[in-house]
Amino acid sequence: MQQTEIETTFVELLKNIMGIQLPQIDRDLHFDKLGLDSLSKIDLAVAVEDRIGIDISDEDLERFVTVGDFLDYVQRATA
Amino acid sequence: MTKTFRIAIVGGGVGGLTLAVALRQLGIEANVYEQAPELAEIGAAVALSANSTRELRRLGLLDALTAVSTEPSELIHRNWRDGRRIAAHPVHENTSYQRVCGAPYYGIHRADLQRILSVALGGAGLHLDHRLTEIRDLGGATGLTFANGRTIEADLVVGADGVRSLIRRFITGRDDTVYSGTSAFRGIVPVAKLPTLPDPKAIQFWMGPDAHLLHYAIGGDAEYVNFFAVVEYPEVWPHADKWLDTIEPGEAAAAFKGWHPAVIEMVSQHLPVRWALFGTRPLLHWYRGGVVILGDAAHAMLPHHGQGANTTIEDAITLAELLSGRAPDGLAPLLAKYQSLRRSRTRKIQRSSWNTNAMLHLPDGPQLAERDRQVARFPENFGWIHQFDALQTQFHPASAQA
Repeated sequence: MQQTEIETTFVELLKNIMGIQLPQIDRDLHFDKLGLDSLSKIDLAVAVEDRIGIDISDEDLERFVTVGDFLDYVQRATA
Repeated sequence: MTKTFRIAIVGGGVGGLTLAVALRQLGIEANVYEQAPELAEIGAAVALSANSTRELRRLGLLDALTAVSTEPSELIHRNWRDGRRIAAHPVHENTSYQRVCGAPYYGIHRADLQRILSVALGGAGLHLDHRLTEIRDLGGATGLTFANGRTIEADLVVGADGVRSLIRRFITGRDDTVYSGTSAFRGIVPVAKLPTLPDPKAIQFWMGPDAHLLHYAIGGDAEYVNFFAVVEYPEVWPHADKWLDTIEPGEAAAAFKGWHPAVIEMVSQHLPVRWALFGTRPLLHWYRGGVVILGDAAHAMLPHHGQGANTTIEDAITLAELLSGRAPDGLAPLLAKYQSLRRSRTRKIQRSSWNTNAMLHLPDGPQLAERDRQVARFPENFGWIHQFDALQTQFHPASAQA
C-alpha cells in the first residue's frame, strides 16, 4: 500500500473511533498524546485489520509508541 | 421466508442455548447439537454481570435466575496473608452497581443456568449425543457429520463449541489456542465449612505473589462458595488433548502455604484436578461461508474479569438480532456485521484479562501501592465491561446516548 493511502485511512479511522480530526500526520506524535490508551489502540487495530485485511497481534500493538511506528508496521504488512 | 432457513448450532453450552432461545423468541427455529449424552455441569459456577443479566432479562428469564442465584454483597480485594481489605465496592441491589449498570450481578451454578436455558427452549431442537467429527463445505450449504453416524446439512452453522472448537479450525485453518502458563484449582464448598471466611456473600479476590484466589457465593440462599485458585505453573501444559490433569492430594494446599486461613480452608478441600487456563489468540476471521463462531470458540479468555460466559451471551444476542427476519441468501454481509460488532469488544476484554493476571499476582513490594490504587478504581477502570448493552450500543447507539 502507498504511504499516502495508509495515512488517509489512518486519519479516517482515527476520526471514526476517537472523534479526533488530525490536521496533518505527525509521525513523531505519541499515541498517548492522542488520548489512545491500550484499549482504544485495540479499537484502532481492529478497524485497520477489517479495512486492510492484515493481522496485528497484541504483542506488536503494544510495541507501537508513535503514529510513525503504526504506519510503518501497516506498510510492511501490506508490502 | 419462502425457503426454510436451516440453522445448526454446534454446542449446547451457555452460548448455544442462549442463541437458540433468542432465535426462538424471534420466531426462528434452530437445531442445537450437543456432544454430551446429557446437559452436564462443566466448570462448576458462573458469575453473570449486568452486561448479560440485562439480556437474560430481555429473554424473560430474570425471575428464574433470581430464584437460584446469589447477588454478591460487595466486590472485595484482599491481601493474601493477613486478609486486609485493599478495596471494596458494593454490588448488591440498590447500590451504585445496579444504578450505573442497569442490571444485577449474580453468582449461579452453571447447571442451574443451563437448566433455565433448556427449559426456555422447551427441549425442541436440542439433540444430545451428537459429537461433531467433520464439517464440509458443500457449496451453498454446509455438511456436518456426527460421531453417532448422522449427517445433516445447514445454511448457517454456528460453532458454539468452546475453546477447542472444531469449527474454528474449519474457519481459520489452524489451532489458535494458547496456553497461558497458568492453571487453576477449583471447587464448590458449603459455606458452613469455611468458618474463618470474612464476608462469605461477597465476591472476593485474595491477591498474593504468583497466585490469587477468587470466590463468590452461589445458590438461592448463598449456601455454597464457588472458588477458583490460580497459580503461575506449569510453564508448559503437558497434554495436547485435555485441559484437566489429576493432582496429588494436598497439592493445591501446598501451593497456598502461608496464606490466610480462609484461603487454606478452601484449597484444603478434596481437589482432584488442575485446570489448564487456555485462551485463543485474537482472530482476524470469525466466519467462512455460512459458518460462524461465538463464545470461547471465537475469543476464549482468561477468567479474571469473569467475562467468558457474559461475552458469550452478548455474542448470541447480537447474532440472533442480526438474523431476525433474514433469509439464508446473502448471509455474508450479516456475518461480516456480526464480526465487526463483536471483535473489538471481546479482544479488549481478552487483553484486559491477561493484564489483570499480572496485576493479581504481584510479589510483595513497593509496586503494590500503584496496584492497590488501581483496584480501588475498579468501577472507573472496568465499568465499560459491565455497562455494555449489546442491543442498545450495537443497534441503537443514538438512543443509548440520549
